[in-house]
This record gives sequence, C-alpha cells and structure tokens, in this order.
Amino acid sequence: MISPVIEITGLSKFYGKARGIEHIDLEVQRGEIFGFIGPNGAGKSTTIRILLNLIFPTEGSAKIMGMDVTHESKKIKQLTGYVPSDANAYRHMDVNEFLNFCMRFYGVNDNEKLASMADLFDLDLKRKISDLSMGNRKKVSIVQSLIHDPQLLILDEPTTGLDPLMQAKFFDLLQSENRKGLTIFFSSHILSEIQMLCKRVAIIKDGRIIKVEDIDTLRRKQLKKVSIVFKDKMSAENFRIPGIDTLDTSMDNILSFMYSGRIDELLSRLSGINIEDMTIEEPSLEEIFMHYYQ
Amino acid sequence: MNLFLKEMKRNSVSLISWLIVIIVLISITMAVYPTFMANQSKIMALMTIVPKGALQFKGISNFTDLLSPVGFYAANNVIYMMVLGSIYSIILASNIILSEEYNKTAEYLLTWPVSRNEIFINKTAVILLNILLLNLTACAAGLIWLELVKTGPLNFVAFMILSLYTLLLNFFFGAAGLLISTLIKKAKPITTFSVGLVLILYFIETISKITDGISGIGYLSPFRYARIDAVSPDYGLDTLNLLYFIGLSLLFGVLAWSIYKRKDIFL
Repeated sequence: MISPVIEITGLSKFYGKARGIEHIDLEVQRGEIFGFIGPNGAGKSTTIRILLNLIFPTEGSAKIMGMDVTHESKKIKQLTGYVPSDANAYRHMDVNEFLNFCMRFYGVNDNEKLASMADLFDLDLKRKISDLSMGNRKKVSIVQSLIHDPQLLILDEPTTGLDPLMQAKFFDLLQSENRKGLTIFFSSHILSEIQMLCKRVAIIKDGRIIKVEDIDTLRRKQLKKVSIVFKDKMSAENFRIPGIDTLDTSMDNILSFMYSGRIDELLSRLSGINIEDMTIEEPSLEEIFMHYYQ
Repeated sequence: MNLFLKEMKRNSVSLISWLIVIIVLISITMAVYPTFMANQSKIMALMTIVPKGALQFKGISNFTDLLSPVGFYAANNVIYMMVLGSIYSIILASNIILSEEYNKTAEYLLTWPVSRNEIFINKTAVILLNILLLNLTACAAGLIWLELVKTGPLNFVAFMILSLYTLLLNFFFGAAGLLISTLIKKAKPITTFSVGLVLILYFIETISKITDGISGIGYLSPFRYARIDAVSPDYGLDTLNLLYFIGLSLLFGVLAWSIYKRKDIFL
C-alpha cells in the first residue's frame, strides 16, 4: 500500500492558552489535489506552518512522504514547494537574484525553466522585488515554489492578488503539474477555487476538522444564497420548494433562503409569480458551515 | 555559503557606512594630537579643572597619560570603537535573524532545504566577520595615525591589547544581540532597545567611575571589563576579563542557538 504524502495524526497547537488547532487527523494521498478550506483564523495556516516546521506542534505528529516534519524537515523541503499567503520576498533583491538565490538551496540551476515560467506569468526578471505589486510578488512566489520540480506543493491562499487571467494560467499550470504526478495541498477560504481544482476537501473550523469530503459530494450539495423581492406580499407557506433551507421571512415581500437544488427547477417554480428583483449569489463560508454543520 | 554570501552582500552598505564614520572620527581625533602636544602646557593647565572621575572614565589616571600617543588614542577613541562598535554589533546581530521574521521572508528561507542550524551558523559567521572587519579597519586606521603622529617609540603591545579588548567587547554585544533576538516572540525590529541597552550599560560604567560610593555597580557593565587604561604600568590581558568576555559570549551564542532551533516562527 502506498503511504499518504501527508499524514497528520492527533495534531494540536496551542499558543499559550490560545487555540491554534486541536486534534487534527488528515491524510492526503499521492497525486491528489486536496483542498483545505475554512474561514480566517480557523487554523489553516497553523497546520501548514507545522508541516513546514515554521512552528512546532504542542502534541501529535505529522509526516510528509513518511518523514517526520519536525526531525526530517530539510529532506522534506527538498521535495516540497510552498506558496505563502503573504508573498514578502527579499525586497533588496531583483526577481532574477531572488529566484537564483532560491534555486541554489535546491541545488538546481535551470535557467531555461526559470525563463519559461517567467514568460508564462509575464514576469520581468530584472525588476526589484520592492517595486512589485502584490500580484507580481505572488507570481514570483509561484515560480520559486515550482522551480525545483517538487513532489508536493503546499499553497496557502495562493490566488490573493492575482488577476483572473493569471489565476486561470496558474490553475492550468497546477492541473498540468498534477497530471505529471505533483500532489497539491491547497488551502483557501474561497470555496469556488477549491471546487474547481480539488478532488477532496477538508473543512476546518475553530481549529478542528469538521469534515473531509469528496468534492463531488460537496458539489452535489451545491449551495446558493437566493434573495427574491416580490411585487406583492408573499407568504412562506405558499413558497414550499424542495432544496430551500433557512428561509428568512422577516420582511413581507422579501424572501431570502439557501437553495441546494437545481437553479432551473427553482426558476420554473417561480414562473407566474410577480417578481421585482432576484439575486443568486455564492454563500459565505460561514453560511455554508451553518447550513451543513449546525 | 549561499546564505552567507547573500547576508554579506546585504550588510555591506551598512558595514561600509560604519567604517567610514569610524575612520573619519578616529582621523579627526588623532589629527588634533600634534596640536595638543604643541600646546601641552596650556592644555594641561586647563585639564586641572576637569574632575578626576571624568578622566578616570576615559582611562586616564593622570594628565601625563595623554602625552603618550597610545594614551591619547585610548582616551579619545574609546567612545568610537567601544561604544559605536558595540552599537553596530548589537544592531547587526539583533536584526540578522529577527528581520527574516518581521519582514516575513522566513516563509521562504525556512521552507527551502536549509536547516535552522545552517541558518544560525551562516548568520553568526556574518556577524563575526563584520565585527572583525570593523575592528581590523579601526585598528589599521588607529595604527596608521599613531605612526604618523608619534614623536617617540610606540607602545604597540598596549595598542594591540586595547584593540583586542574592543573586539571582545563588540563580540560580546554581538552575542547579546543574537540572544535577545531569539527571545523576542513578536517579530518586530528591536534596534531602539538594542542601542538603548548599550548606552545604559555604558552609562552605568561611566556613573560608577565618576561617583564615589557606587563604583561597584560598574561590574554589572561589560565596559568595566574592557580595560582602556592603556598607559598603566600593569596594563595587560587579564585572565578574568578574557574569561568574562569569551565565556559570556559563548554562553549567549549557545543559548541563542538552542532557542532558535526550537523557536516558533510567528509571521
């Protein structure tokens, strides 16, 4: 049996009395794109920082490729790439200097790959890091994470600052690298990103893993937040449609609810009703958590 | 070596700036020596009104000490190399590791295949080499000036011992800066605190020398153990003083290393 790429067992981290994460168990299999989702402060970054040996666990253990993250950290890092949420590279360096500085730690000197990745992300290698926007610094971060052909890529909110075009290129690159065998641990608070890329997802809240779920299962439960303004007063009693949940009837002519069915079915049920306005939007994570895990 | 070279390059501008300042200060001071000697009787008369404690804190037991070029150098340049050199050392050492945290670059460096031991050793080597370069340059500048202004034989041994005390004092503050930076939990620059620490310790030594009855508190300051009375007949390397500097510097360094190996890097 092939051992998991990431294997976390009973992992906890406390900062004094403050909770970081509590009793986390998690496995990420080789070749997976695994989503790790939760609101800010849920414990995503704490988990990642333990995996990367930036901080030490209070209890429990974590292994990457069978190696202990605390004691065999250097070997693990040789095989791992990481994109931090804050892309704060050395500001006094230019991009080329920074990426070469990075490559020397990995013992690689692949200027061809460096040039092609810079080209892909439209990155000027001669510019000073201090002159770069957040988005461009993120691109530098992405390039440094992949320049040594890692076996595992850990991403912490990697799309912050990237424009939609670059996000699309980045996701294409991730999928292409994944097809070549790269395992990806993708941490984000944006559900749509996770849904787009990942095969499985762990949902973390208040330092605990609430659920590890197959992304297809989650997708089947696809949840929308719907708000309808009716021309006339509408009674909730007359508005019973399968898939509707947490119906808010606090205003006479406005109904708000979470809907987990098919949108076309909802629209067909609404035909013939006098509607003034209607919005369908993606719910916040908190709303999803409330919906699924109350 | 990758990290060592990067740190040397990164700190080179700061080192060169400090070198220029110290060379200029030494030069300005030593350029005065020939004039001082030419007008020694007038200046000596003037010096009689200077409190004895004020002279002691400059390492002078009597006015004639100033007539020797090494005595003049020791009395006037101590503040440059001992105080400014210590400030340079503690600023360099207290920021070299901590800056990776408050600039958030540790999220790169510590996630690349380099162990914390390697990071610590490389950064410590940069601290040692920079302090050594600063002291060697100051020593060379002092020696050149002494050769230029001397009117008789030069007490070379006393000058070298003085320079060695200065180097050890600077290493001491380098090690202290390193230790302080590893003890800081919330990553932020500690330059003000570090400079303040050097000045307070210098102030303690100064006060203890010029105030009767509290000379004992001077032993709390490392400046007490760096002898600057270069023209005293018994001037030399005291074993206890050497042990003080080498022992405490090693202790601070080892403590900093063991703390850093297990430190949570907060970003």
